[in-house]
Order: sequence, then C-alpha cells, then structure tokens
Amino acid sequence: MLLDPGILFATLLGGLSRAMILFLLASGLSLTFGVMNILNFAHATLWLLGGYITYSIFSFIADGMGLGESALVLVMAIILGTAVMTVVGFLIERFLIRRMYDRELPEQLLLTFALILIIGDLIKLIWGVEDRSIFLPSEPLEVLGTFVNPYYFIIIATGCAVAAGLWWFLQKTRYGRIVRAAVYSREMVSALGIRIPVIYSCVFALGVAIAGFSAGVFLPLMPMALGVDIDLIVQCFAVVVIGGFGSLLGTFVASVLVGIIYALSILVWPDGALAVIFLIVVAVLIWRPWGLFGTELRF
Amino acid sequence: MTSGGQNSHRGSQWVRLLFGQGDISGPVILALGIGALFVPLLPGDFWTEVSIEILILGLFAMSFNLIYGYMGQISFGHAAFFGLGAYGTAIMFREFTGGTAEITTTQFFLALLAGPPVAAVGALAVGYFCVRLTGIYFAILTLAFGELLFYLVFSWYGFTGGDDGIQRLLPPPVFRDPTVYYFFTLAIVTAAGYAMWRITRSPFGYVLRAMRENQLRTKFLGIDVRRYMLVNFTIAGGFAGVAGALWGPFTRSVGPLLLGWQESGIAIFMTLIGGAGYFAGPAIGSIVYTFLQAYVTGFTVYWPLTIGTIILLIVLFAPGGLLGTIDNKLIARLRTRSPDSSTAGREES
Amino acid sequence: MVRAILEVTDLNKHFGGIHVTQNVNFRMVEGEQSAIIGPNGAGKSTFFNLLTGYHKPDSGRVVFDGRDITGQAPHVIARRGISRAFQVSNIFPRLSVLENVRSAVHANLGVTMNMFSRADKIGTAETQEFLSLCGLNGKETEIAGQLSQGDKKKLELAIALAGKPKLLFLDEPTAGMSLDETEETMNLVDRLNRDLSLTVLFTEHDMSVVFNHANRVVVLNRGEIIIEGTPEQVRDDETVQKIYLGEHQI
Repeated sequence: MLLDPGILFATLLGGLSRAMILFLLASGLSLTFGVMNILNFAHATLWLLGGYITYSIFSFIADGMGLGESALVLVMAIILGTAVMTVVGFLIERFLIRRMYDRELPEQLLLTFALILIIGDLIKLIWGVEDRSIFLPSEPLEVLGTFVNPYYFIIIATGCAVAAGLWWFLQKTRYGRIVRAAVYSREMVSALGIRIPVIYSCVFALGVAIAGFSAGVFLPLMPMALGVDIDLIVQCFAVVVIGGFGSLLGTFVASVLVGIIYALSILVWPDGALAVIFLIVVAVLIWRPWGLFGTELRF
Repeated sequence: MTSGGQNSHRGSQWVRLLFGQGDISGPVILALGIGALFVPLLPGDFWTEVSIEILILGLFAMSFNLIYGYMGQISFGHAAFFGLGAYGTAIMFREFTGGTAEITTTQFFLALLAGPPVAAVGALAVGYFCVRLTGIYFAILTLAFGELLFYLVFSWYGFTGGDDGIQRLLPPPVFRDPTVYYFFTLAIVTAAGYAMWRITRSPFGYVLRAMRENQLRTKFLGIDVRRYMLVNFTIAGGFAGVAGALWGPFTRSVGPLLLGWQESGIAIFMTLIGGAGYFAGPAIGSIVYTFLQAYVTGFTVYWPLTIGTIILLIVLFAPGGLLGTIDNKLIARLRTRSPDSSTAGREES
Repeated sequence: MVRAILEVTDLNKHFGGIHVTQNVNFRMVEGEQSAIIGPNGAGKSTFFNLLTGYHKPDSGRVVFDGRDITGQAPHVIARRGISRAFQVSNIFPRLSVLENVRSAVHANLGVTMNMFSRADKIGTAETQEFLSLCGLNGKETEIAGQLSQGDKKKLELAIALAGKPKLLFLDEPTAGMSLDETEETMNLVDRLNRDLSLTVLFTEHDMSVVFNHANRVVVLNRGEIIIEGTPEQVRDDETVQKIYLGEHQI
C-alpha cells in the first residue's frame, strides 16, 4: 500500500503543503528570534487568529455583501486579513513584547505562553467552538492514478513565492540587510544610527503578517479549529530547531523535511507521527543544537 | 531571578527575632502549617478535599521551583514526572488488585512507594539530555520530552490503558475518609517539603543559585555544571513523583493528560503567582491558583483566558509574585522608618 | 627549585577564517609573576580562554603542573589549580558578596554535593579571610551586582583566590580602578606571589603596572608572541614600539 505511486504522491503533496505552512510560520518565528531574541510561543495562535479573521472577512464579503464565494473574494479577504494581522502584530509588539526585551528569558517565554491561553480563549469567545472552513469548488486533477485537489499546487507555489520574496528582501534590499545585520549584532546596527525599536516592531509585525497571510491561504484546505495552534507551534519549534534559528534556508529545508516526514508517518503510524518529529528534535538538540544551518550564536 | 524578590536584613529583624532566619518564607510556612491543622474542622468534606489538592499540587509546584527559581532554568515538561509518579503507583495498584479486588494497606503503601522512583528514573533519563543545554534550548527540549512521554503513555494501551487511563484506584477503606487522607497527605508533603528546604539551604543549594546567577563562572569554580543540573533535575522529578503518587488514589484514577504541557503549566502558574524567589512561593501559589480556578470555573468556561491574563499581568507588573510584592512593601515601609539603613537587599532564596 | 609549572607548546586556534592564536610557545616557572601585553585584538583573552578550557585549541599542548590539560573542560582545569579573574566582572550578581566568595570556598572544599548541612555555617572563616584580603570588609551583605566597579573587581579577585590556585590568570585586574585601588590590588598580588608562591600571569594596558609588578613581559600581536623579556628589554624594543604606534604591519 505504501508503494502505490498514487498514494505516495498524494502523501508527498500533502506533506509539501504542510511544509509550506510550517515554513511560513517558522520563518516569522525564526526571524523574530534571530533579530530580537524573543521566542514567541503564541505565533501559531496568532496564525489561527488570522485564519478566523480572514474567514469572517470572507463570509462578510461573500454573503454579507452578496458577492458570492469565489477565488477573487478569497484573495480580497486574504489581503484584508493580512492587513488586520499586521496591525495586531504591531500592537502586540508595542504594548507587550517591547516590555520584555530587557527581561530574562524565562519571563519572556512565560509571557508568550500566557498569550497562547488568552488569544486561544478569545477565539473561542468570539467564534465559538465550531471549525471554520471555506469550500472552493475545483476540478480534482488526476495524477498517477489518484485524484488530488489542485489547490495543493497553489499552496506550494505560494509558499515558494513567499520564500523567494523573503530571500530577496533579506539579501537584496537595504532594509533586509539591516535586518540580517541585526541578527548578528544589535549593537552595531544601533551604532550605525538605525533605530532598533523600529526594526523590532517591523520584524515582529512582518512575522505576524506572514502568519496571517498563510492562514488565509490555507483556509480552503484546512479548517480553522481550536487546538490546531498547539500542534502547529510544536512542529514549528521542531522546524526552527532543526533548521537553525535565524537561517531562512535552514527553515525552508527543515520545513520540507518535517512536512514530508510527518505525512509519511501518518501513513505508517498515525498516532505516533508527532512523536517521530519530537524524536528528531531531541536528536538535533543533542548533537547539533544550533540546527543544520544555524551558526553557533548566542544561546 | 525575580526582580521583586528582595529582602533586607534590617527589614526582617522582627522576623529573625521570632524564627532565627532572615526571610519571610519561614513565617509564611509556619502560618500555613498551623492553619492546615484546622482545615478538617470546617464543615463538610469540600474544604478538606480542596486542601488535599492544594497540598499535592503545591508539592508539585515546589519541585518545579527547584529547577526554575533556584537553578534558573524553565522546564515545560515537568508534569511528565508528576504523571510518571502517578502511573507508577496506579500500575502497582492494578497489579495488586487485578482491577476488582480491594487493596490492603501494605499494598497501598508499596504502590505509593513505587511512584517516585519511576519519576526519578524518568527525570534522570530526560535530564541526561536536557542538561547539555541551557536557556531556550533547555526549555524546548523539556517540552519535547514531556510531550514524547505523554504520547508514549497515550499510545501504549496495553500497559497504561492509553487514552482511558487507569481507573478504580480505591485506597484502603481507612484512607477513603477525606480527613484521614488529608492528614496522611499533609504528613508526606510536610516531610517532602522539609527535605527540599534542607536541600535549598545546603551547599548543593548554593551551587544551584550560583549556576542560576552565572553558569560560566560556576564552571570556573571547578563545578561540573552538567552533573549538578542533572542531579537537581532528577531530585525535582522525584519530588514531582511523590506528588503524583498521592494524586491517583485521591482522584481515584490517572490519565495521560497528567503528563501533558497543560499540567506542566499548572506548576509554572502556581510558582509565578506565589513568587519564584521564595521557598514558600509555590505553596502560596497553589492555594491561590486552586481557589481561583474553582471559583472562576464556577461561572465561566473561559478559565484559560482568565489565568492567561493573570499570568500576563504578573509577568509584566509583578514578576516577584505575591510574596515578592509583599516583601517589597515590607522593605519600603521599614526603609522609611530607618533612613540610614543601607539599601542592601538580599534575595531570600 | 625552579620548575616549569606551565608549558604551552605550539598552540593554535582559528575562529572562522581568523588565526587568533598562532604557534604560541610559552613557559612559566613556579612563583613567577609575569604580564602579557599587546594591542587590542592581539589575542590575550583568547589565550587565557584556551588555557582555562573555555575554548579548545586546534593544535598544540598545554601542560600544567606536569599534567596535560589540553582541551579539557573548564571545571576540570579549575580543579587542577588554575584560577582566573575576568576582565569584565564575572560575579554572581544577585547573591551577596559573602555568598559569592562562599560559593568558591565550598567548591574548593569539595562540599558542594552536600545536601543536608547548612551552607551558611560552612567555610565562613575562610570566606571572611578572602574578603579581608581583598579589601571587602564590611561589605559582606551587599548585593554583588550593586557594587561599585572597583569593588566588583575586588570581588572578582576574591572569588578567584578562594579557589586556592597554584596559577592565577588576571585579565586586566586594574581596569577601571583609581590609582589607590590599583596600588592596593597590585600590592596584594605581589604579596600573594611572594608569600604563597602563587604563579601569576596578568594582562594589562597600564604600562606602569606592568613595569612595577612583572618579572617578565610577553608581547602578543595578532595571536603571535613577538618578543619576551624583562620589562626594560621589551620597552626598548623597536618592533614593540612600532606595534603600539600602529605603524608595523605584520
């Protein structure tokens, strides 16, 4: 059964698209940690919030404004949803995260840990306990004897596009170079006259924006449900640990790795898929704590 | 560690007169201890049973604080050892009773004794890997291991009962009376607490603090930091196992969630609320948390929102917790009374 | 009887592409008190790091008191009898001055695995001695992190001394000190060197300290030992003068 090319392909496709979520999420996490030394436990919960918000915007435009459910409406909703999440990101950084920069690590972790509970419950408060998903009608494609949802390809393409965009931003633009420099040395960047708080705000908001964006993109494929954030954040950690904090390439490679391994594990040992990921995390942390592509930076 | 956890010799002179120590944990524990003796006098079983819960979870939280407050590392997987202790005892229970028979008092004690070693061995195994790292990597690794152990217990249906857990953990008839179980728990928790107290006052305890303050320098003193972290981690896990062992017969069942990150969160919250810089912090935290939870869940289902907000506010504005805040007020008041006193504050722990 | 207490042979270390320590050969005899000088970035701290186990050398050997300690962990080397006072005070900030030194005393006494006795009753006399020695009398209960810079340096020294080392590394011991404090500290070091046969190696930027308190001076530049000799010999050497004036390109 495992060797059936159709099922294998479908699994790989699922794995790759999962890899895309992980990458989009983990890149924000990795960037935030690399630049600001803050690990945002609540990152996936913000992703979830973005998904719910985008869903509501979609419903409003589609039903409330009577434009019907279509890809175009989804695109509009995603754009608006991302904008909202960017603002949310700025607000959270400004009022909460900013106070934690000179605090010790455990307290930073605890703050974002508390955010998981708060935001998670707020989602429950506002949207209730039911899943939210969008159904976009589309013709299933037949590949290798099995039918797949063509949306998977869109997801993968989008993920790669964002990855390329991020890479271009970090490598080729002035702002990106500033951000990269900040990963290596905050002091130097500050000495160059660039205002660190502004960089921090923007990096954090960028991470949240990407998260919000990816949640919206995933709506047709994956229902937004309570508890999904916990699953995701843990896998996100796995990705960032394996790939290395602060390394975009590492995050991408690790996302693909984790996504595919997870998907394959579901085939073979459904209950233990997450355990397999954990084992890899443990192994990496033990033998190469700074990840495959990370540098032996600050601990 | 906690910026609020300060104490001044002069500020605690009145305390020292009474207790010969320079910190507020002493009188707090004493007050709690005396109060604890009178709990069963309150009407009905409710207060007694709540107090048992407070005692057990308080011990759990204090064991966590050995790692957090004293050693300066945060572990998000500490409940795994609490759960291992609970399961160790529960499985012995099941072996002795075969699920239907009654357990004798001797067997009951044997089952209880089985819990902590299981937890300690687990902590030793997990700790062996975790102590190679510190800070954020340590935190993530403990989370990962905790979840790994959770999944292990969750999936191993044949041995641990999987998702169903282990049911029908009835203690011997004598211990079914809440008042009896309460005093029994009080005795054990007091003994365990006393042992932890001695440890924190010992040279070993001082090493923990040194590692917390400056791990690098501690190495240069000639101390094998990894080894000491492992020993402390194991001890903390063992004490968590003691708490776990008591939990099963109390609630009459154990389930895999006892090992999960949410349960770990309970220890963290209690410690934070009471104040991580004080020995008595987690104990106070346990009282506040347990009552708060019982109260809040009585009229709303949004408990995570509540506790999350409280923790957020504490981290932002009162990181010293309850005891830290009180201690600061004490210093402030006594400083205004004697303006020539040196402002030398000393962290109690 | 003079014997070599420290022998460093062909020590090398790279960081990334940079050769921070190059083929260093260095020897100290017991009871010696010497200084390492060199411009910033010469590799003085790295040298200390390599000798105390903070970094592992890429090649070369370090033999202390007859034993090979190359590449061993810091705590192992510390136990062998090497202590180090850091350039930037590396103390235990939230503990009191007394507890700072007591921790070092406990470590030296080997009681640190004791979980039952009262820590504040062990090693008090010794701790007080070290505090007095370093001029910290009356400051026992102060919080280390709140001390003045000079006092922090004194505490730094006290902690290092409490390890009862045979070899003491001092990384810029008088940085940030007033003239009086500098004299006080270096006189103390001289006394310890004389009375206890404590071998001392210190780095310094203050040349007067070097002249007045070092038997031998070693000059480091870009990771290599350029010259060694008495303070006068080194001072009069042309190469050294050029290095410090920045003209010499190596």
